[in-house]
Amino acid sequence: MIEPAETVIALEGISKSFGKVHANRDICLSIRKGKVKALLGENGAGKSTLMSILAGRLQPDSGSIRVDGVLQRFPSAKEAIDAGIGMVYQHFKLVESMTVAENVFLGQEGGRFLNPPAMAAKVRELAISHGLEIDPSATVADLSMGEKQRVEILKLLQRRSRILIFDEPTAVLTPQEGDQLFKALSHMAAQGKSIVFISHKLGEVMRVADEVAILRKGEIVEEKRIDEVASQDDLARMMVGKETFLTVVKEAVVVTKPVLEVRDLSGNGLKGVSLTVRRGEIVGIVGVAGNGQKPLVETICGLQAPERGEITILGKPWKTFFSQRKLSETLSYIPEDRIGLATCPSMNLSDNFLLTTRKGFRKGPWLRRKRVETESRSVVDRFSVLPGHLSSQARHLSGGNLQKLVLGREFFRKPGLIVAEQPTQGLDIATAKDIWGHLVGARESAGILLITGDLNEAFSLSDRVVVMFEGKIVDSFDVTDTEKRSRVGLMMAGAST
Amino acid sequence: MTPDMIIPLLAATVQSGTPILFATLGAIFCEKSGVLNLGVEGIMAVGALAGFSVSYATGNIWLGFLAGGLSGMVAGGIHGLVCLVFLGNQVVSGLALTILGVGVADYLGTPLIGLKAPGFVPTALPLLSDLPFLGPVFFRHDPLVYISYLVPVGMWLFFRNTRAGLRLRSVGENPDAAQAAGFSPTHYRWLGVLCGGFFMGLGGAYLSLAYTHMWANHLTAGRGWIAVALVIFAFWNPLRAVLGAYLFGGMMAFQFRLQASGTHIPSSFLLMLPYVLTLTVLVFSSWKGGSSATPQALGVNIEPAD
Repeated sequence: MIEPAETVIALEGISKSFGKVHANRDICLSIRKGKVKALLGENGAGKSTLMSILAGRLQPDSGSIRVDGVLQRFPSAKEAIDAGIGMVYQHFKLVESMTVAENVFLGQEGGRFLNPPAMAAKVRELAISHGLEIDPSATVADLSMGEKQRVEILKLLQRRSRILIFDEPTAVLTPQEGDQLFKALSHMAAQGKSIVFISHKLGEVMRVADEVAILRKGEIVEEKRIDEVASQDDLARMMVGKETFLTVVKEAVVVTKPVLEVRDLSGNGLKGVSLTVRRGEIVGIVGVAGNGQKPLVETICGLQAPERGEITILGKPWKTFFSQRKLSETLSYIPEDRIGLATCPSMNLSDNFLLTTRKGFRKGPWLRRKRVETESRSVVDRFSVLPGHLSSQARHLSGGNLQKLVLGREFFRKPGLIVAEQPTQGLDIATAKDIWGHLVGARESAGILLITGDLNEAFSLSDRVVVMFEGKIVDSFDVTDTEKRSRVGLMMAGAST
Repeated sequence: MTPDMIIPLLAATVQSGTPILFATLGAIFCEKSGVLNLGVEGIMAVGALAGFSVSYATGNIWLGFLAGGLSGMVAGGIHGLVCLVFLGNQVVSGLALTILGVGVADYLGTPLIGLKAPGFVPTALPLLSDLPFLGPVFFRHDPLVYISYLVPVGMWLFFRNTRAGLRLRSVGENPDAAQAAGFSPTHYRWLGVLCGGFFMGLGGAYLSLAYTHMWANHLTAGRGWIAVALVIFAFWNPLRAVLGAYLFGGMMAFQFRLQASGTHIPSSFLLMLPYVLTLTVLVFSSWKGGSSATPQALGVNIEPAD
């Protein structure tokens, strides 16, 4: 047995909540010298919050951070940088119009005056010694995503950061660039840097990590050395957790005609997807984020055109449906992005209510304001949106209340097909239950396509479950099929069924 | 045209281009940090008044010139207060500053109308002024013109070779990157707004201390607006700004001479010439792809985190 490497950073009992939502709860985590630690978890599991706390961008509600055994506080990013913690964000923080060398030295110029040739030489030397090939005098705007990421890494190396945090680093890379990154990561770890690697891709974690910590709903549920992990499926099971049925009362509803039929939909990251949603049922799509859910939803909801394949919505072909919108029997889309896509943050509640509904509120070119007020009032009351002042701006609502407003607005349109994307992500359990109740109730008049990363949600709401992996539908089964349910983790990880 | 006609015209070009050059450099400095300042005209007016009155009161022309710059800095500070502290709209604040500055200068300047104050007089530079052609065109001017030769080069070196210059540019392009690099983007925007205001004020002071030695209302006469347009023409490059400023200086000197020569072209048409050129230049620079040189965060306020 080799002696365990020394701990450089220890997080002790870190908790952070946003309103009623616990983003991180009592997290303990140690980062060791020369090791690659993977932080694995679904979207919304609290990975990014935890790393933002470590990088000094967020303050924990409680808990402490020890660097080399010494208690430290990071009131801002600067203190974290000084402590040797560096972060490569998913969205690069680079100045596009400047050269690679200028970007690397920004904020750590080492003197009042700059010497561009010396800067370029330094960057070149640093790049070569770490196997990160790059031209120091190139303008960042001309670089590929992989090269830009290398600039970010060089920034941290130049700063002599000892702990390098990567937030989903392969999300923007081509597979080849990903391979290069993994090589660089191992190389840096071998030189004594500690690497934290945030990801939800199981394959990469198995490949590069020495240790893995699994986050679920803001808590660390498992922490292991990678050689203790038997297989990817093992990881998948840990990530999605044990299935526990939630108490959602589902009354039997008669399933009638199809409201959505997708046939061999391909392109935009999809590979021959076919599925049917009938009135009266909820079809839950599960899968690790980024396996084609997004393009599928966007194509169904008319945000992007289908490349190949056919979609029939409420009995009409895709093109006809979106060119002749009707007022009843509509498609309602409840997007994941509540504040950006579903609402206008600086408009008030009744104007937000009008965004997708003008039915009965028009008189020639005029809006019937009085009616808008009464109807939106009744929606706000029925869905208990708090605080329910119609004149307050949508941005002042919490995530849960905003979601209830969106739901109320969409249900008001009497939809025949509802597409709900992560409808309870980031919400507290009481609000989530409300929303589940509304969705289950809506089956009376509509078919529902539910896209979720939360297996419990999928199993308790859905009548049928569809598993997606790499743009394909791996399997589709009835929710009562317990045998398949136990294997869903494997399917999500891409294991053949 | 004979050399006897061209040399004085070019010399006049340099002289009338100088205030525009100072103002353009100030606007470039400000915009490089990401703050759009449409208040150039107002800041110049304030600088002109402050320069004139200090020179009139103390008899010290250098003190007057400095006062012009400092008052520009204060006026720029108002813009900074609105945009950087209260996160107000930069376009509206700049326009308001123009109206305020011109108004204040006219109001406070009314008692000074027609008064004369000591000002800068041409001093030929030894040796250089004896150069054929170049000498009379560039080196027989007042000292402020010689200063204006140095400022663009200094500014260019500042942007390229100093820590503060690098940071100021990064703030104008991507304040997020600055934040992540561990320094405050707002500090460098203040630097941009204040120093930018200083140079704009100098441009104004040049008008009342060297271009004329008298006070008159509306001394700036739209030069601030030309500077705003020249920033785009210069692609935010201090060295290119020299070219732009002399192009306009030349147009102004030319129409002035044309008027004096008793041409039949109506004077109001001649007065329009610089502005017609402004529009042409703007269209031309946009068409040539000047937008790629625009600081990416220009006009975008830095919202506080959370």
